[in-house]
Amino acid sequence: MSIVLDQLIRWYGNQAIVDQVSLEVADGELFVLLGASGSGKSTVLRLIAGLIQPDAGRIVLHGRDVTAVPPQQRNMGFVFQNYSIFRHMTVAQNIEFGLKIRRVPPGERARRRDELLDLVGLVGLGNRYAHQLSGGQQQRVALARALAYEPKVLLLDEPFGALDVKIRAQLRRTLKEIQRRLQITTILVTHDQEEAFELADRIGVIERGKLLEVGAPETLYAYPRTVFTATFLGTATVLVGRVDNGYARFGSLQLPLPLDSATDYEDGDRVQILVRPEQVALSVTEPKSHVPVIGRGTIVEHVFAGDRRRLRLRLPHLPGVRQIAPAAPFGEEGLLVDTVVPTDVPLAGDAIWVSLRAWHMLKPPPRRLLLYDPAANTSVTPLLTRWLAEKLDATVTVLGIAATNEALDPVATMLQRYLDAADLPAELHLRVGDAEQHLTIEQTESLYDLLVLGCGESTDAGATAQPPDVRMIERIARSGMTPILLVKGSRTQLLRILICTAGGEPGKNDVRTGGRLARRFGATVTILHVSNPVRGVSLLVKTHLEQAAATLRALDVANTVQIYPSTTPSEGILHVAGTDDYDLIVIGNHGPIMPTLFGSSDVTRQVITHAPCSVLIVPDDAL
Amino acid sequence: MSMSRPSRSAGNRHSSASTVAHPSPWLPVSMLIVVLLPLLLMPLTAVFIFAFRGGIGAFIAALLIPDAQFALRFSLLIAFATALLNGLIGTFAAYVLSRYRFPGQRPLNITVNLPVAIPTVVVGTSLLLLWGPIGLLGHWLDPLGLQPMFTPFGVLLAHLFVTFPYMLSTIKPLLDELETTYEEAAYTIGASRWQTFWYVTLPALRGGIFTGALLTFAHSLGEFGATVLVSGNLRLRTQTAPLYIFAQFEAGNIAAANAVAAVLAALSFVIFFFLLRYTGNGR
Repeated sequence: MSIVLDQLIRWYGNQAIVDQVSLEVADGELFVLLGASGSGKSTVLRLIAGLIQPDAGRIVLHGRDVTAVPPQQRNMGFVFQNYSIFRHMTVAQNIEFGLKIRRVPPGERARRRDELLDLVGLVGLGNRYAHQLSGGQQQRVALARALAYEPKVLLLDEPFGALDVKIRAQLRRTLKEIQRRLQITTILVTHDQEEAFELADRIGVIERGKLLEVGAPETLYAYPRTVFTATFLGTATVLVGRVDNGYARFGSLQLPLPLDSATDYEDGDRVQILVRPEQVALSVTEPKSHVPVIGRGTIVEHVFAGDRRRLRLRLPHLPGVRQIAPAAPFGEEGLLVDTVVPTDVPLAGDAIWVSLRAWHMLKPPPRRLLLYDPAANTSVTPLLTRWLAEKLDATVTVLGIAATNEALDPVATMLQRYLDAADLPAELHLRVGDAEQHLTIEQTESLYDLLVLGCGESTDAGATAQPPDVRMIERIARSGMTPILLVKGSRTQLLRILICTAGGEPGKNDVRTGGRLARRFGATVTILHVSNPVRGVSLLVKTHLEQAAATLRALDVANTVQIYPSTTPSEGILHVAGTDDYDLIVIGNHGPIMPTLFGSSDVTRQVITHAPCSVLIVPDDAL
Repeated sequence: MSMSRPSRSAGNRHSSASTVAHPSPWLPVSMLIVVLLPLLLMPLTAVFIFAFRGGIGAFIAALLIPDAQFALRFSLLIAFATALLNGLIGTFAAYVLSRYRFPGQRPLNITVNLPVAIPTVVVGTSLLLLWGPIGLLGHWLDPLGLQPMFTPFGVLLAHLFVTFPYMLSTIKPLLDELETTYEEAAYTIGASRWQTFWYVTLPALRGGIFTGALLTFAHSLGEFGATVLVSGNLRLRTQTAPLYIFAQFEAGNIAAANAVAAVLAALSFVIFFFLLRYTGNGR
């Protein structure tokens, strides 16, 4: 291993511009560190060169720990973006400088200098000064100068950034040739992704100080792990959908999960898909039935790019699907897909069929919880949220709503205090306006895995009890696919769960969702069915209950089935919940729209209003 | 009426009206010369006219007076010494102020440029008040026989003080402009800090050092205000050429004064000429 970086950290104020970067570069490899401006890539290079010191971490060159060694003794060549060749010296003197410092005799120096002039293609220009050379020639001098004393490692900091396109291409080729010929370990830093693709044996993508991914150019392009890499390297269309029944579902589009990571996905999890422009197929006629189709759309943008045309199509929005890339302009409602066609292919008009030839599933995104606690007067809600975040391995975002712009600051301060009191690390989202509207937006955009609503009711001393705004909760629940956890009672852990299959319809989703959560919480479950005292329990219901128990057993969740007779389902549920001291009631969103065997009494509403403990409202099945 | 070009009619004498794109320079230039004539051009000519009034012989005789010889040689010597010493100190100061970060940097920066703003006479009095027989340090040193004032050394001190900013202000901007990667390149190649300074930084400052040296030399040659106080005007000991000219003029020996004045003026022209050539060429 030529170069090993071990957890390098460099601070600037209280920001880490290099954040725990670890990397290994092999002998003779051309490694490209690719990142946007300000990502920390140049800093990493300068740390390797010794021009700045890391605040933590080690740098090992060929087995030697050089973290404390000054740049003069690291035996490296460095090429800067602004060439920095010595203007008072000729080209020859520049190249010989390193050798002169090392006391190489003049004859030997001259020989080596001529070798290098030949290597970089500057034969005959030895007596020129910097101001007599073009930018490209100056950079060649810089390269020759850096290689003169045969360093072990060559470092280049955006070497072609200051040059125009044609020269850049030329120099890239020269550099690649030289690197191959000399087999010298090289690290090049750039923001130009084309350059990275052309030169690198491996690319390291760096963003905000963190090394995100490392891999061969083709691997990173086709199979990136993160969204950032996917969108940074080339054009990408990235969509977020949900796992449903073992498939990845994007509205009407259903795709199989990748074989090797299928077990990582659970139903209801979010899933991200990357489609490269060349993986999109356009046709005027409907594709065959086995071909995955996104929809029919129209061309809204087309860019002529020499040998091909880049197209952007607008398709009808896929319900429940969020688009991460390309970034939709404000007001855009449809789904945008970027694709590319050869120039000689004629463009059709509207209603073009857009289907997929191939795609790539990105790493499942981390689970996210959204917390909204308007009363914010009890510690139960944040403590419970913290427990949930731990159990679900999720990040927490807190929504703060202020009535006016002026009220934003006090709301922010109060929320921060609230979070600190419960030691809950969370991101704050501050919005002005109406709470319900914002919650609905968050719901429909399918951004979160669980919505936690505090309703100010608790048994904390001094807390004022506030009845939850039931209608609002119902409306929000109906508008999207995210389960809603209404925090009530005083429990900060949910270890006894009551799943209600109230009403006549199966409620499979309730059982699945409740069961998955129980598994993560390590909780026990009781499946409750409230039966009509007169009619008893039908065969259908019994079968369903058995299936539910079986599902839970398959999830390794301890469960019992309980059948409780009661005239109204809500009464039954509340009775059981109360007597047997449950921490959580899981119920579907059965509003008055759903006809029930018991008439139009709204079960969910009753339960929400009167439950002694927290309630999880599971949305209706996806379409 | 057609919109044709303004005609060059016979009545149109004022060239500025008919050719708007190329205004004639003659009027402003003539005005400038009229202003400069009594201000600069005529006084300078007067010096040379008076110097050669009595003929070349008298001119040379005036220059051969021992006092005159001493004054000229002394001035040149002090000027060289000032340029050399301030060259070293100024480069060092520019390097430290430019390349290091430390608290109090800005006030220090301003302070070292102050001598330009202080009247030279005040410089002289300040030096006397420090080193002179009744000075803060002087009254310790005087009994020991160490009295820098009224000696050539005192003159040198005064000249160093007065001309310090000139060197600094020609070198520091060059250092500031020199991108840090310039020196970093040398470090990565393997050059130590000293090697980098000697082989890479200093050559880049060549132009600034030369210009600074010329400016320092010129200012030192002409320095009067501080010198007159600090030197005590002791002939054949601390009397510089400007002091000599002043003394001779007061005594009524116009010819003697003028001869030396003419030599000084001529020297200044030569220096100025060099400065122009050098900075005009760029690098």
